[in-house]
Amino acid sequence: MTAVDDKPSAVAAPRFGLRPSLLIPLAAVAFAAAVGLALIAVIGVPVADAIAAFVDGTIGSPYALAASLNRACVFALVGFGFVLANRANLTNVGGEGQIAVGGIAATAVALYGHVAGLPLGLAFILPTLAAVIAGALWGGIAAVLKVRSGTNEVISTLLLSFIGVWLLYWCVQSPALLRKPMTSSATLPESLEIPDAAKLPLLTGDYGFPVHLGLPLTLILAVVVGVILARTLFGVRLRAVGLNPVAAYRAGISTTRTIVVALSAAGALGGLAGALMLLGEQYTLKDGFSSGYGFDGLVAGLLSRGSIPGVIAASLLFGFLRSGGINMEMTAAVPTALVVVIQGLIVITLAGAALFIEKWERR
Amino acid sequence: MRSASLANVVDVAAAPLLSLSEVTKRFGGFTALSEVSLDLRPGEVHCILGENGAGKSTLCNVIFGVYQPDGGAMTYRGAPYQPSGPADALAQGIAMVHQHFSLVGDMTVVDNVLLGRGRGVLNRKECARQLARLGEDYGLPLDPFAKIDDLSVGERQRVEIVKCLIRDPQLFVLDEPTAVLLPDEIASLLAVCRRVAASGRAVVLVTHKLAEIKEVADRVTVLRGGRTVVTSDAPTRDIDMLVRAMIHGDVAELDGAAASTLGLGNVEPVGRQPPRSKVEALQIDGLTVRDRQGVTRLDNFTLTVDRGEIVGVAGVEGNGQSELAAVLAGMVTPTSGRYYLGETDLTGRSPKEITAAGVGIVSEDRHAVGCVLGMSLAENIYLNRLDEFTRFGFLNRTALQREATTLMQRFDVRARGPGAPFSSLSGGNQQKAVLAREITLPNLSCLVASQPTRGLDVGAVAAVYGHIRDACSRGIAVLLVSSELDELLSVADRIVVLYRGRIMGTCAADVSRKAEIGAMMAGQAQ
Repeated sequence: MTAVDDKPSAVAAPRFGLRPSLLIPLAAVAFAAAVGLALIAVIGVPVADAIAAFVDGTIGSPYALAASLNRACVFALVGFGFVLANRANLTNVGGEGQIAVGGIAATAVALYGHVAGLPLGLAFILPTLAAVIAGALWGGIAAVLKVRSGTNEVISTLLLSFIGVWLLYWCVQSPALLRKPMTSSATLPESLEIPDAAKLPLLTGDYGFPVHLGLPLTLILAVVVGVILARTLFGVRLRAVGLNPVAAYRAGISTTRTIVVALSAAGALGGLAGALMLLGEQYTLKDGFSSGYGFDGLVAGLLSRGSIPGVIAASLLFGFLRSGGINMEMTAAVPTALVVVIQGLIVITLAGAALFIEKWERR
Repeated sequence: MRSASLANVVDVAAAPLLSLSEVTKRFGGFTALSEVSLDLRPGEVHCILGENGAGKSTLCNVIFGVYQPDGGAMTYRGAPYQPSGPADALAQGIAMVHQHFSLVGDMTVVDNVLLGRGRGVLNRKECARQLARLGEDYGLPLDPFAKIDDLSVGERQRVEIVKCLIRDPQLFVLDEPTAVLLPDEIASLLAVCRRVAASGRAVVLVTHKLAEIKEVADRVTVLRGGRTVVTSDAPTRDIDMLVRAMIHGDVAELDGAAASTLGLGNVEPVGRQPPRSKVEALQIDGLTVRDRQGVTRLDNFTLTVDRGEIVGVAGVEGNGQSELAAVLAGMVTPTSGRYYLGETDLTGRSPKEITAAGVGIVSEDRHAVGCVLGMSLAENIYLNRLDEFTRFGFLNRTALQREATTLMQRFDVRARGPGAPFSSLSGGNQQKAVLAREITLPNLSCLVASQPTRGLDVGAVAAVYGHIRDACSRGIAVLLVSSELDELLSVADRIVVLYRGRIMGTCAADVSRKAEIGAMMAGQAQ
């Protein structure tokens, strides 16, 4: 009989100069961009023109830069909401509808809430709050459906998105709701422009660089959401419910309350994104208001893999892509479809890269 | 004790049927098997003995072709043996009964046997004839046209065995087959092993119970930490040495309860004082649970547990224990009946309220109910009391880690630190952490522990029972649910036996009444 030491042999972890978790996403974006440029060359648009148009549309002018940043804020807010709910293993795909109901609520309060004369910025704060509440309710419906009858939140938030978008369409079509008074048959189906006092203040006060209050607000919320997830009891409860709802319930954590709060918070952030779009940039509510931003924000949240800085990075990427893409279409005649293709390529390569990193780290 | 007549005289010089030479198997950085060498001879029952995590199942799976070894070689009937998978192993005459059954509940015995064997049109009659013959040869009576769902656990296992035997294997591997069986069923399974071996085949029987080894083994190989420690040709003679080899310690130092889980000879009731106070702590009054199909899972269960008393709930798994524990934990609302702690009615209360009332719960399914694997040890060890570390919503992680470290020391939970992921802990340490959480509730007055030692090694078993006894001596009422009768006999004061959701009987935890309790577990009223 021999004495045996049973120590499993330790395997040394591989070391890198540059962290692959940073290097690989950059390589993925570069790869997707290269494929995109190749496609542009194939359809006969001079590549140099396309690149020039892209740069022009993103950072070429203060206006372009501001537009990109404002877009990124919208994506980031929806993305934060996605990440927050996803901690509890909830997948909120309802950003689009939450933006829409946020936009409706903000418009209604800004136009008909007698806010124009209010002091202390209440003229834009009240519509913003209305949008937040509307978004929270929209997310909350999905939560209640899930808690009461086990309805999968992916289905319910998605379907609620369609309802939100068509609700908005109804609001701007019906004079009894938010449509501006019909003075002629040429009156567009859109709301009146909101009063100046209800518009979000621009940081510089200069319409040549129209970055509004939404940017600092988004950054503050980034910190707030990050702190909630990492340092609060609620953050731990979200994780516990997400990882093992049965054990969490046994340990005295109210799973139903956690789910309702998480989905409502995600909806509130979506509603806030709608408020920023309406009060900060568009000023009138029109059909197609949400313009797919809810889904872009969802993708930003997905790509971030649960990290708030990741959401910010992905949102900036998409913000600039959208702006640059629009300009490529307008000045270099690159079809929008191609821009969407490139965006899709980036998502797929990034997601693939994430999988690759995971395998690498597990080796 | 094995009677001499059962013993097979194995020709030591016979060429081995299967031999393993320095077989190594790694999973990532973890070496599950390290240079294991082993000979399996025709006509022998070869037991593989070892604690949980010693590599027994891995060894079986390597032989059966589920895993390909990373090093070493196997020789089968004199030729190199490198099975590409279970199908290949089966084709070459090696069959295995897994720890968990793989039967289709809604199908008949014959159809289950024909699954994966039948070609074209199924010949059920022929198969039934074969089954009948096998049943006669090996003492495995089965109704070929019974539905699996209607069979008892022991009968289901017979189906698994017959599924293997019908292929006429030369080598027959059974991975911990006795864990779910009644005492009677265990005895008949061991007899089947003997008959299979007597027909010139080799049987590999994996177990961690010494009683089975004494009963049936021709040779025993002990695994510890993935290595072969020793092989004995005379297991009954070497039994003490085998235990030492398995647990790397001395038999004399073994805790009585821990020793009983190994089936080590006589169960010594641990000299406990009878409960000092006859004060009812836990009172269960006519609890009945019906499931969604309307089947009665727990039927009019009535029991009181006094302060400082340990009451064991015995029974084969699936006879209502899970439902009882789930009701007491607040996870299931009973169909009828009530449950009181002292004067407080806890029937249908939420887990949170039950914890607050002072009932600690150790769930039978640790991973599903007892812990959150993806969270840290510190978070898990205070999962139900995290709000004590919270100010204005913010979690004070420094204090949490500090308190968790204290508990880790008190309960000997071994981990890299309080921040280590719970999933990185061994099963024993996970269980000690769960126990620490439940047993240190500030106002604990009752502890309900279900299968608290399942899957633990001997050291951890001793620690768990040490803590439970300690709680009991502080006047805590303990309800202990276990399917290990020997364990209950050595730890509990009183035993109630559950059968099909009903209490078959109650008696003092007295070793001399083991046969009587065993009969009640099988449904015979005494």
